[in-house]
Amino acid sequence: MTTASLTPPATRTARRPLLPGAHRTVLRLHRTTLWTALGLVVLATAVTGYLHLAAQGRPGLITFLGVSNEDDLLFTYMERGAVALLLVPLLVAAFTAGPVVARELEAGLHQFAWTQADPPARWLSARLTVAAALAVAAGLAVLGVFWLGGSGLVHAQGSLSWSHSTVYAVTGPVVVAYCLLAVAVGALAGLLLRRTLLAMSAASAVTGGVLWLLSSVRWDLVPARTLTDSSARAREAWVPGGIPDDVRIVDMGVSNAAGDRFQPGQCLSWAGPGKNDYSCPADTHVVQAWVDFRPRSHFWYVQLIESGIVLALAAAAGYVAFRVLRRRTP
Amino acid sequence: MTDTAIEAADLALAYGRRREPALRDCSFRLAAGRVCAVVGPNGAGKSTLLALAAGLLRPTSGRLAVLGAAPAEVRARIAYVAQDKPLYPRFTVAETLRLGAELNPDRWDAALAARVVADGELDPGARVRSLSGGQRTRVALALALGKRAELLLLDEPMADLDPLARHQLMGTLMAEAAEHGTTVVMSSHIVGELAETCDHLLLVSGGRVRLGGGIDDLVNAHALVTGARPLTDLAAHTVVESHATGRGLTALVRPEGPLLLDSGWGVEEPSLEELLLAHLRSPDAPPLLTPGANPADRTAVAA
Repeated sequence: MTTASLTPPATRTARRPLLPGAHRTVLRLHRTTLWTALGLVVLATAVTGYLHLAAQGRPGLITFLGVSNEDDLLFTYMERGAVALLLVPLLVAAFTAGPVVARELEAGLHQFAWTQADPPARWLSARLTVAAALAVAAGLAVLGVFWLGGSGLVHAQGSLSWSHSTVYAVTGPVVVAYCLLAVAVGALAGLLLRRTLLAMSAASAVTGGVLWLLSSVRWDLVPARTLTDSSARAREAWVPGGIPDDVRIVDMGVSNAAGDRFQPGQCLSWAGPGKNDYSCPADTHVVQAWVDFRPRSHFWYVQLIESGIVLALAAAAGYVAFRVLRRRTP
Repeated sequence: MTDTAIEAADLALAYGRRREPALRDCSFRLAAGRVCAVVGPNGAGKSTLLALAAGLLRPTSGRLAVLGAAPAEVRARIAYVAQDKPLYPRFTVAETLRLGAELNPDRWDAALAARVVADGELDPGARVRSLSGGQRTRVALALALGKRAELLLLDEPMADLDPLARHQLMGTLMAEAAEHGTTVVMSSHIVGELAETCDHLLLVSGGRVRLGGGIDDLVNAHALVTGARPLTDLAAHTVVESHATGRGLTALVRPEGPLLLDSGWGVEEPSLEELLLAHLRSPDAPPLLTPGANPADRTAVAA
């Protein structure tokens, strides 16, 4: 039997629009959400910029709010704002899982979308591409908004220190990586669960879970640096001299010649008033004080390693999503 | 173009490992250019069959070729309208048609799609979610027709159309199909709407194909006999179904040779409806595929 197809082979017309039809469809389907997201970015930028200018002492900008200390207002705002900005990856996950993927499956729209000229894999890749572009934009917006308001406030100590888990997450590339992970997890949850609300909650929970898990182990990814000082003053004060500024101190204490470390609480003999509160018994033979700390440069090591891990997870989730789709359709 | 629109061999599909298969032992052939009705009671497997042909489902076992290839390879040449006419509710009618154009860039016939919508006096700016069921059907059919497919798979296409719109849309559909030699497969549980438009029939019930072939061939292969005589008179033939009527017995038989009966029997040609109802009432009657509709016959001829 000879089979001659009427359709020409896959030669396409020369002039092609910037984006393929499938992608333009996704953009048009979700234009309300995209405009809303843009509006929120503009709003956050405006409010943050306003408070930043007010804190810089532009007269009259803030007085009508009845706030006496503009610096405190900006500090508190950025402190809370960093937590709020961390919700952005969760929102990206919910958006991808629900409206972008699961809602179409729940409403049976895939029966339409998967029987057009494009194969189902293209349906998914168009959604992933658009959502990933949105995710990168969202991550950059988070970075921009925090930088705008908090760039002058981030120091070594306190709740806006560079190593504080929320500040850390919204001041480096990890936030972009988490947004991309959110897209992949969202697509996978949408395909597996096929129920809008269920997929939205599951994708947010998984993204938040990964964020929480990595935030609790991220500082173990790079070994801390140690500084020791065997001067009498350091042994007496339990603090080595010459700790650089702008470092995150992990731990400190004293140690003996054998290298056994003693931390406050391990040497609790009360030496009497005027003496050091934590002076160890003489038989411990303290020879030096030590401190484990992280220099500011570790911020970038950890950011890059964590981003790598998160992007690898995102790639795995995306791959599984395509596999799930492939298994379900012929 | 191949001369076979759909060919199934021992096709089966189960939606779950433990559930009864929705379709089993399904073998038939549909020649290209036919207008085929897939009829059967609710839950018979009609939608499953159409979704398989549209490349939406993967068969559990068996083989299915559409336009000479696997269904997934010929998506561009098939148009499928699912039973509940899924359309993006927030799109306007015009945006929906634009979607059809963008997703089928090589084949889209914008003028035809626009005409089908315009015939229904639909406002192109109206949102899909504000449309009535019949209007949605019209937009869904406009998308399917605009795709200029070689095979149209329509699942209960006319169910929620009023008689006038049904007549008019069916007219458009048939005119397009005739002009371009399109094969049309549509499912329905309303027999009346199909008899005048379709020339081919697949009766599906209980997940199996019970009858397949040209409508005239199928009707001619059966006879409706009535008489006050015992059923044993008909033992030489296949009795599909028999029931008692006023003064005797009415039976639908499949004559195996000349129907030589004594004068006590009256023989007439059954109507399509009688033929289908008789088969639906007796699920154990042997299936019948007329020669052109039977893949086994064709291989025999080829060999």
